[in-house]
Amino acid sequence: MEHGGNLVNRTIMLPASVDEAVEALAVTPGAVPVAGATDLMEAVNAGRLRPAALIGLGRITELRGWRYEDGGTAVLGAGLTHARMDRPDFAALIPALADAARTAGPPQVRNVGTLGGNIATAAPTGDTLPVLAALEATATLARAGAVREVPISHLLTGLDPLRPGELLTWVRVPLLHAPQVFLKSTGRSGPARAAASVALVLDPARRGVRCAVGAVAPVPLRPLEAESWVAGCIDWDARGAEGAVLIDPAALAAFGEYVAGACVPEGGAHGEGAGSAAARLRRTVAVLARRALGRALK
Amino acid sequence: MTSATELPAPAPADPGTGTTGLGTSPLRTDALPKALGIYPYAADLWAEGLLWGAVLRSPHPHARIVSVDTAPALAIPGVHAVVTAADLPPGPDGTPDGAPAGPVTADRPVLAAGVVRHHGEPVAAVAADHPDTARLAAAAILVEYEPLEPVTDPEAAFHAAPLHPDGNLLRHLPLRTGDPDAVGAVVVEGLYQVGRQDPAPIGAEAGLAVPRPDGGVELHLSSTDPHGDRDRTAACLGIDPDRVRLVVTGVPGATTDREDLSFQVTLALLALRTGRPVKMTLTRAESFQAHTTRHPALLRYRHHADAEGRLVKVEAQILLDGGAYADVSAEALAAAVAFSVGPYTCPNVFVDAWAVRTNNPPAGRMRGEGALQTCFAYESQLDQLAKQLGIDPVEIRRRNAMTTGDPLPTGQAVTCPAPVRALLDALDTTPLPALPLDDPEADWLLPGGPGGAGDPAAVRRGIGYAVGMVHMLGAEGEDEVATATVRVSGDHATVICAAVDSGQGFATLARQIVQSVLGVSEVYIAPVDSDQSAAGPSARGRHTWVSGGAVERAALMVRHQMLQPIAADFGMSVELLTINDGKITSYDGVLGMPVSEALEGRELWATAQCRPHPTEPLDPETGQGDAFVSIAFCAMRAVVDVDIELGAVRVVDVTVAQEVGRALNPRQIEDRIEGAVAQGVGLALLENLRTEGGVPVNASLTGYRLPTALDTPDIRIAALLEERDVVAPFGAKAVSAVPAVVAPAAVAAAVRAATGLPVGRLPIPPEDAIVPV
Repeated sequence: MEHGGNLVNRTIMLPASVDEAVEALAVTPGAVPVAGATDLMEAVNAGRLRPAALIGLGRITELRGWRYEDGGTAVLGAGLTHARMDRPDFAALIPALADAARTAGPPQVRNVGTLGGNIATAAPTGDTLPVLAALEATATLARAGAVREVPISHLLTGLDPLRPGELLTWVRVPLLHAPQVFLKSTGRSGPARAAASVALVLDPARRGVRCAVGAVAPVPLRPLEAESWVAGCIDWDARGAEGAVLIDPAALAAFGEYVAGACVPEGGAHGEGAGSAAARLRRTVAVLARRALGRALK
Repeated sequence: MTSATELPAPAPADPGTGTTGLGTSPLRTDALPKALGIYPYAADLWAEGLLWGAVLRSPHPHARIVSVDTAPALAIPGVHAVVTAADLPPGPDGTPDGAPAGPVTADRPVLAAGVVRHHGEPVAAVAADHPDTARLAAAAILVEYEPLEPVTDPEAAFHAAPLHPDGNLLRHLPLRTGDPDAVGAVVVEGLYQVGRQDPAPIGAEAGLAVPRPDGGVELHLSSTDPHGDRDRTAACLGIDPDRVRLVVTGVPGATTDREDLSFQVTLALLALRTGRPVKMTLTRAESFQAHTTRHPALLRYRHHADAEGRLVKVEAQILLDGGAYADVSAEALAAAVAFSVGPYTCPNVFVDAWAVRTNNPPAGRMRGEGALQTCFAYESQLDQLAKQLGIDPVEIRRRNAMTTGDPLPTGQAVTCPAPVRALLDALDTTPLPALPLDDPEADWLLPGGPGGAGDPAAVRRGIGYAVGMVHMLGAEGEDEVATATVRVSGDHATVICAAVDSGQGFATLARQIVQSVLGVSEVYIAPVDSDQSAAGPSARGRHTWVSGGAVERAALMVRHQMLQPIAADFGMSVELLTINDGKITSYDGVLGMPVSEALEGRELWATAQCRPHPTEPLDPETGQGDAFVSIAFCAMRAVVDVDIELGAVRVVDVTVAQEVGRALNPRQIEDRIEGAVAQGVGLALLENLRTEGGVPVNASLTGYRLPTALDTPDIRIAALLEERDVVAPFGAKAVSAVPAVVAPAAVAAAVRAATGLPVGRLPIPPEDAIVPV
C-alpha cells in the first residue's frame, strides 16, 4: 500500500490506438510505455525506476490479436498475452512460441505479461526470445509519422536498438507449417526462470534447421554451424513416411554437443573441469538441444 | 475481525459425531477470512497522524563504522526523527553499545554500534510523514565504513580474529558414551551439507508503535512471544517492562520467532522520540535481511555396524553456522547432539559439535532446528549401510529402531511412547502411487514441470524412507510455564491466555478443550496482549502442551465450581456427575440438567498454570543429562521421479506415519503435517539463501525458490498413531516440527534410490542427481 505513493503526481496516459500512443510518446519525453507491467512495476515499486510518465497500452485492442500477411507470415500484436499465446488456435500456428508462453511464470504473470513486454524488457531469461530468434522474426517499430522493421535479434543485441519515441507494435513471424520445439530447464516443477532453454524450428521448404539457445548469455545465441551441419544429416525426403528414421541417433547426440560447444564457452581460468558451472551448463544445453531435435523429427 | 461476522457460519464440526470438543475437527474461525484475504494483519494497521519508519542497513557483511552523519536525513522536509545506536541506553562503560539483546545471550545490538557483523544489519532508522520520504531519508544518512575481511567459512571461524567480544565459538558440546574402541564389521562414512533455509513467511515484518501518555509505548506486532518481546524491548529501551504493552495482531506465517527484536525496539524508539504513532512495514528484500534463517550445517559421520546391520558405534562431527549472533544456536546444537544417532539404539556414541559465529546472516529458530540437520545425516548413513550390507533400507531401520524405555545417547531414557517400528510398518499399508505405465490415461507430470524439458525415457522413479525425531518444549532446564484463565458467564465461556495462535491452531484447540470440559458451545478466545499472564513463546510445539494444559486445568476448576452446588443438592460427590453434549448427568441417570440451566445467572472463573516436569542441562564434558520433556517421532516414505540427464526431481508422493499421542483435532493435524512436509520438500530441492562473501545473492521471492503447488507432492497420512503420553496434558504431542525434520531426509533417500548416487547435499543440486553416462 505504501508503494502507491510512488505514482502520486505522475502522469498516466491511456491511449486507445497506436497513433495516439506514438503521439503521446512524442510529446512526453521520458514517458515509459507499459503493457503487462510484470517487470516494470516491480522496478518501480522497488524504487529502481521512477518514470516521469507512464503510457498504458492496455486499451489498444488492435495490438492484442494477430493477423496474416501474404499467406506466409503471421503479424502478432505486441500486446498478445502469454496466456493468449498458449491457447490451442495459436499453438497450432506457432507451436514453439505457445510452448514458451506456457512456461513463462505463474498464471498471474501469463495473464497480463505480453509478447512486446518480453522483447522490450529483453531479460536474458525471456522465454519467447529464443523462439523469436530461431524463427528469425522481425519487429515493427512505430514513431510519429514513421514505421521501420528491425530483426528481433538486432533489437536484442543492440545492433539496432529501440530509439527514443519508438513503440514496439507488431512482431512478424514466418509460418513454417513444420514441427517446432521449445524446451526449458529450470530444475523444478513449478514456474521458474530458465537455467537454459532451446528453441528449435524446422524449415522444410528450405531444408533448414534453426535453433537458438536462451538464458545462457545476455541474448539468445544461434549455433549457425551446428544448424547447417545437422540439416545435412536429416533425410528430408523421408518426412511424412510411416516409420521413417529421419536422423541417426548418433547425429542427434552430436548435434547436442555441437550446440552446447558453440553456445557455452569453456569454464575459463577458475571454472575448468567436469564439475564446473560451465561444464554443467554445457551438459544441460546439450541434452536440451538433443531432445529438441529428437522431438521435432519424431 | 469484525468483517468475519458477515461471513457464512463456519462449517459444523465433523458431521456424524454431532459433538464439539476434543477429537473432532472444527474449522478454524480464521480460515475463511484468511482465504478470502480480509483477515487483518499488522500491515493493515492504521492510527491517526502516524509516521512511517524506515531502516538503514549495512551494505557490508563486516565493517567498522567510522562515522555516522544523520544531518542530511534530518534536512529532508517531512523527516521527524533519525535514531542510531547513540540514542539507545549506553553500555556498561558509558559508550553506545546498541543495547544488545537476544533470546539466550544478549549479544545482538538493536542498532549497530561501532561495527557491523552481517549484511543488512540495522545501523540507523528514520521516522517521516511518508514512507518514500522515510526511505529516501534513510538512504541519505552518511555512514563511513571501513570494510573488514568477512569470516564466511564456518570452519575458518575457529582461528579467525574474534568477530564479537564474546568470541567466535557460540558453543562446543561433546557427547561421549560407551566404548571408544568398539569396532563394527562394516564402517560407512559420509560428509553432509545443509544449506540456508529461510522461513520466508507469507507476510513480511510489520508493526505499529503508539506512544503512551505515561512515557511508555504500545506495540502492535505479530509477535509469537509477547512477554519475552516486551521484556527484551523494555530492557533495550531502558524503561520499566510495565511501560511497554505488546498487542499481538494476526500472525502472517511463523515457522520461526517473529518479529526480530531490532525491528520492535527501533519502532518503539521512533514512537517515543517523535511522540507520534509510527508504522513500519518491511519490503520483501528487507524481510530476508531482518529475520533469522535455519542453521547451515556441515556434518561428518562414521557408522560402525555388525554384519546384520545393527549399529555398534556412531562417531560424528557437527558444525552449525550460527551467523553473526548467538540467537538460539546453543539450543539448536543441543538438539543436534542429543539426536545425532536418530531414533535408533547404539551403545557407543562419540560426537563433537560446534556452533560458531561468522559474518553470514544470523541463524535462529526454525522448525526442528538442529534435529533436522542431523536427521538428513543419520538417515543418509543408514541408507549407505543398507546398500553396503545388501539389507532392505526399511529392514535396517527396523532392526535398530528404539522403543519406549530405550536410552538416548545422552543417557536419558525415552519414557514417552516411541513406536518407531510401528510407524515404519504403517507406511507400507498405503499403496504406492501408480507408475505412468500402469495408468497411461493419467496426466503424468514429468520432472521439470508442465512445458518443461522432461523426457519419459530419461526418468527414473525412486522410493526412499526416513524416520526422525524432535524434542518438544524448551530443553536443558528451561522453565516452561503457561497461565490461562477461563471465565463462564451465562451460556458462553471466555479463554484468556497469552498463547499466540501463530497459525498452529491454538485458538481452535483452546475452544475445543473448554467445550469438552464444560459442555459450553460458545467459547470466545480473547486477543493476546502482554497485560495478560505469560504463556511463553509459540515454538517447539509447546502451546498444545503447556498452554493447552493450563486451559484444561482452569476449565476443570470452573467445572468443579459449577457442579459442586448441584452435587450438594443431590447429596453426591462431583465425581459422579458427567457433562455430555451440553448436559449434566449423574451416574445413576436421575439428574439430566442442561449446562445452560446450571450456569444461568452465574459467573464463574478460574486461573491455572501448567508447568511440565523439569529438565537439566547436558553435561559440558560428556553430553549426558535428562534434557528433554518429551520427543515426537515420524516416519516417511517419499516417491520421486528424477530426470537423470538434467537432474530435475519431482516429488510424486510423500506418505507420513506419525505418533501424535492423541489426535485432538485430526483435520488440523493433517493440515500441519502437509505444511511441514511442503517446507521439508522445499529444503530438500529448492530453498537455499545463497551468500557470496557474506552477502545474500537471491534475497527475493524470484531468486529464493519456495515450493509452489506444482512442486508439492501428494501428501498422504498412512497413520496417526495414538499412544497417549502419560505426562502430557490430554496425552497429546505437538505435530508441526517433526514432519519438517524428516521430509528432506526422505526425499534425499528417494533420489538416492532413483539415481544410485550418494546425495550428500541439501537442497539437492541438479548436478547431484545427474547419472554420469
